[in-house]
Amino acid sequence: MKSKRFEALAARPVNQDGYVKEWPEVGLIAMNSPFDPTPSIKIENGRVTELDGKCRADFDMLDTFIADHAIRLENAEKAMALDSLEIARKIVDINVSRDEILDITLSITPAKLTEVVGKMNIVEIMMGMTKMRARLMPANQCHVTNVKDNPIQIAADAAEAGVRGFAEMETTVGIARYAPFNAIAIMVGAQVGRPGVMTQCALEEATELMLGMRGFTTYAETISVYGTEPVFMDGDDTPYSKAFLASCYASRGLKMRFTSGTGSEVQMGYAEGKSMLYLEARCLAVTKGAGVQGTQNGSVSCVGVPAGVPGGIRAIAAENLIAMLLDLESTTSNDQTFTHSDLRRVARSVPQFFSGTDYICSGYSATPNYDNMFAGSNWDAEDYDDWNIIQRDMKIDGGLQPVREEDVIKARNKAARALQGLFRELGLPPITDEEVEAATYANGSNDMPDRNVNEDLKAIEDMMARNVTGVDFVKALDKAGFPDVAQNIYNMLRQKVAGDYLHTASIFGENFHVLSAVNVPNDYHGPMTGYQISEERWKQISDIPNAIRPEDI
Amino acid sequence: MDQDLLMKQIVEQVMQTMMNSGAMPASAPADDKGLKAGKVTAKNYPLAENMADQLKTPTGKPFNSLSYEKVISGEITADDMRISPETLEMQAQVAESVHREAFAGNLRRAAELIAVPDDRLLEIYNALRPYRSSKQDLIDIANELDQKYGAKTSAALVREAADVYEQRGRLKKF
Repeated sequence: MKSKRFEALAARPVNQDGYVKEWPEVGLIAMNSPFDPTPSIKIENGRVTELDGKCRADFDMLDTFIADHAIRLENAEKAMALDSLEIARKIVDINVSRDEILDITLSITPAKLTEVVGKMNIVEIMMGMTKMRARLMPANQCHVTNVKDNPIQIAADAAEAGVRGFAEMETTVGIARYAPFNAIAIMVGAQVGRPGVMTQCALEEATELMLGMRGFTTYAETISVYGTEPVFMDGDDTPYSKAFLASCYASRGLKMRFTSGTGSEVQMGYAEGKSMLYLEARCLAVTKGAGVQGTQNGSVSCVGVPAGVPGGIRAIAAENLIAMLLDLESTTSNDQTFTHSDLRRVARSVPQFFSGTDYICSGYSATPNYDNMFAGSNWDAEDYDDWNIIQRDMKIDGGLQPVREEDVIKARNKAARALQGLFRELGLPPITDEEVEAATYANGSNDMPDRNVNEDLKAIEDMMARNVTGVDFVKALDKAGFPDVAQNIYNMLRQKVAGDYLHTASIFGENFHVLSAVNVPNDYHGPMTGYQISEERWKQISDIPNAIRPEDI
Repeated sequence: MDQDLLMKQIVEQVMQTMMNSGAMPASAPADDKGLKAGKVTAKNYPLAENMADQLKTPTGKPFNSLSYEKVISGEITADDMRISPETLEMQAQVAESVHREAFAGNLRRAAELIAVPDDRLLEIYNALRPYRSSKQDLIDIANELDQKYGAKTSAALVREAADVYEQRGRLKKF
């Protein structure tokens, strides 16, 4: 006889997910692998001669880069001599400041960092995040894409996302040649929704830099680093090329962060028998050593791998914490779809959502799941109200707020019309009133009329050959009768001249006032310290339109 | 991708690639980032608000002279709307004042690279990718950065890469 209970359980979404048993020998283990190296450092004449059990003669390219660039040597021997358990306890001790922790954690090796967080349970990891996050207040990032690469829809979705509160927005492409349109559309939409939102377009490294140089984007994030040398080579880069690339971005006044995550090495077949978390600690050390201000990490697009092994979701939170322990801006994934279970997808986000990180999602899909070109997201547009209610339930600030339908419709319509005007002024294929109307009320690309893709692609090629830049978007929008939108884009260009937003964990508040770990550092040290939700902000978060008002009864 | 399938693929992949290459010795010069006497600190930040009168574009225009109207009239062009080496140095000092030395080093490397044209910068980045360049190619790039643009720390990074790529067999294969 078959159990009816087991039959019911077998049909549950959670049982449609894939799981795998630990296999430490090949790296199918989230953390605390018996094959992870024992932490060690030896310094002779100001030079690291031994790192995590390897002597310099045996260093691979990552070891060399980390040894030469990533660790503060003055204090290293002392910090390495501390018991890892003691460091872990200091991290959760409210009487030990963030700065005191950084003095230790910036001076220790990847294996030591891995060992330290390996001593912490999930709640302690969350406590560590609350204290070690770089910026005082959390924020959120979204994806704005669609399967048709429809720029009008991108502009409208970005405008709505701005109204909803996102501080950063990322687009990418289905067809690579569409990139310039997608980048323009997300920028215009974002500046309609909320002035000061930073925008990016995820592409192949060199192309992404080129678009930034020409003022199509304000920051970049998809600069991948990996935890073993063979995977780094497969990724067609080295720690040195990536460090150089980091400086290229800053030289053009563009903010940037690296990207890495647990599971990428085992997925690409070269984990060298190490735990996913240890390899990620190496990625983060490379990021630190390259002098980059921050990272997008938390398994990211490899989430299916750690999610399949025991303790994998804890390891994802632990890798976010390691980023914070290295004083990096932490942009904590919660993006790619990994489960059929709604319960599991919420639980996966609890550590970052409840503790607050510099960017909780990277990103939250500002479209329905089917339009997300980053292989879906753990959170999408159809979860907006769930996210808002969870904020309200827990009294936490996840970076979003409830909105009114009329405000959203207005913003979407304005973004679509602004893009229509910009296209007209730049001599690009016309955007019809029908398309503006559809984008204003659309949920996803199923609601959008098709564009003539060949005509668009030809116009893009021509526009790029004409050397159109961000300054031309300002002029075109002004001419098209959208001087306020043009002014916002001008202000974003102006910020590149000053470079304040290059700093760790930057976002723009009102009036393009930059908020970063420099002027609003996280100073949490126990109850009633650190970020406190203001009365005004709490009203914004808690005031949902569908709540019954006692005075109405 | 279906997750079960993904797990199976990973297991297959790791089984195929369970051998690994031996490591070669590596050496690299210590990074030479002479700490400069910091004058600008976190107190001056954001510079766009607190030190606007001291910022300039790379074309020599005062930051305060930039305006929306001038962009519209064409008096200000895309070449003006860029960051200058002096401004990046000030931002590097801000970073140092909050103990972000590695980040400050990146900003100083960046300050040197402002002079390198966009296209050349992209070419150099591509040349630094694995298997793209001979050792001599990289040394030539380092010399160009050093001599043509005065980009000393960037040149040092490229020279360091040349040595490491040689030791690790990541130079161009003929």
